[in-house]
Amino acid sequence: MMIKLNVNGIDYEVDVKPHWTLLFVLREKLKLKGVKNGCGEGECGACTVTIDGKAAHSCLILASQAEGKKIMTIEGLAPGGTVHPLQQAFVEYGAIQCGFCTPGMIMTAKALLDENSNPSEEDIREAISGNICRCTGYVKIVKAIQEAAKKMRGA
Amino acid sequence: MRSKFKYAFVNVKTMKGLFRPKECFRPETVEEAVCLLSKHDGAQAIAGGTDLLINKPPEIEYLVDISRLPLNYIKEEDGLKIGAITPIRELENSQLLSGAYGALSEAARKFGSWAIRNMATVGGNICNAVPSADMPPTLVAMDAKVKLVGAEGTRTILLAEVFVGNRKNSLKKGELLTEIQVPKLPPHTGVAFIKFARTSVDLALVNVAVRITFEGEVMKDVRVVVGGGVGPTLVRSKKAEEILKNQKISEGLLEKAAQVVSEELKPRPTSIRGSGYYKREISKVLLKRAIAQAQASSKGG
Repeated sequence: MMIKLNVNGIDYEVDVKPHWTLLFVLREKLKLKGVKNGCGEGECGACTVTIDGKAAHSCLILASQAEGKKIMTIEGLAPGGTVHPLQQAFVEYGAIQCGFCTPGMIMTAKALLDENSNPSEEDIREAISGNICRCTGYVKIVKAIQEAAKKMRGA
Repeated sequence: MRSKFKYAFVNVKTMKGLFRPKECFRPETVEEAVCLLSKHDGAQAIAGGTDLLINKPPEIEYLVDISRLPLNYIKEEDGLKIGAITPIRELENSQLLSGAYGALSEAARKFGSWAIRNMATVGGNICNAVPSADMPPTLVAMDAKVKLVGAEGTRTILLAEVFVGNRKNSLKKGELLTEIQVPKLPPHTGVAFIKFARTSVDLALVNVAVRITFEGEVMKDVRVVVGGGVGPTLVRSKKAEEILKNQKISEGLLEKAAQVVSEELKPRPTSIRGSGYYKREISKVLLKRAIAQAQASSKGG
């Protein structure tokens, strides 16, 4: 069936099969490879995107269910050639090692900061509890998110 | 109709069919959805998708996407009315779930991860009928009812009657759960929910919900519900309720009730989340804690 998807502000028309997940369409049809396919079962959070501003696992939603909603992936976070404060903070704080969890981690953090511009460490840990990182541990990630929050508040 | 072979595609690893529904319908009204569900064999409703798209059952031939139905609401009306596709996250944040209803938002907070709570729905959590689901124990303890709409009409049953086995619900073919109705709780009532799991995002080993209505120091009305992997469905311990009813809280009484509850559970002897013995022991501790919490909350609200 033909569906219209709004991804990163651009409207796409895609011919999808009923069982295709949003993750599959984003990666294989729209070639947005920043969205990672980790476990495919909602455990790892690598496929996290924001749907209407809320963090969601793109592996657990059908592409057709996302029609009419605003989807944002890591590619749409900052205009071309620039980086978002979250991305900058992740680099500065060494919150990246292999990088596989990073897009999902940042999209979750983005959803959190949109909702709460001054989150406590506990708020951050709660928010990223569905995003698994197997390299660095979470200390640097939490610090990076705190730093980005500070910058975005203009402090 | 797939005549000769049951499945058109086969997963080589499991030798089961692949999840290949022929069509995904997107109804706009409840009537339309019910009509589609009852008309097609092998039709399955999908809302949040957080269980269905993990299991990907090959027997599903048609999907009915109910995520566009006007069933996303929480309202105060003769108690609480909660739409079936209300995301868990909305329950977590709703101002209406305060006082004695606060245990529901506590259960929502303990539910999966952040992103899962944005997607998973209350109705889905119920209809999946997984014994370790987080929302049902508290709802059952509150004597919640559910509204089921089918092609032959609408019926309202007690939520506890929905659960008939592991992943088995009592909905008839074509029926759709549309609303959860929580009755008004009497004054001096406290409800508590405690979840015990390996990590904050894991399924529960044991979760306990307790509702107590006090008259002075005496427990006039009691509900004890234990969930988690403690049997094919959640367990409402009427024996423990009888022991606690019309009594004042005392060490000895709690000990007796805890013992009875732990004996009523039927956990598998072993599972990846813990042995049967361990779950029984944990349930005793959780029951005592839940009763203390319910007592405190009855005074607060």
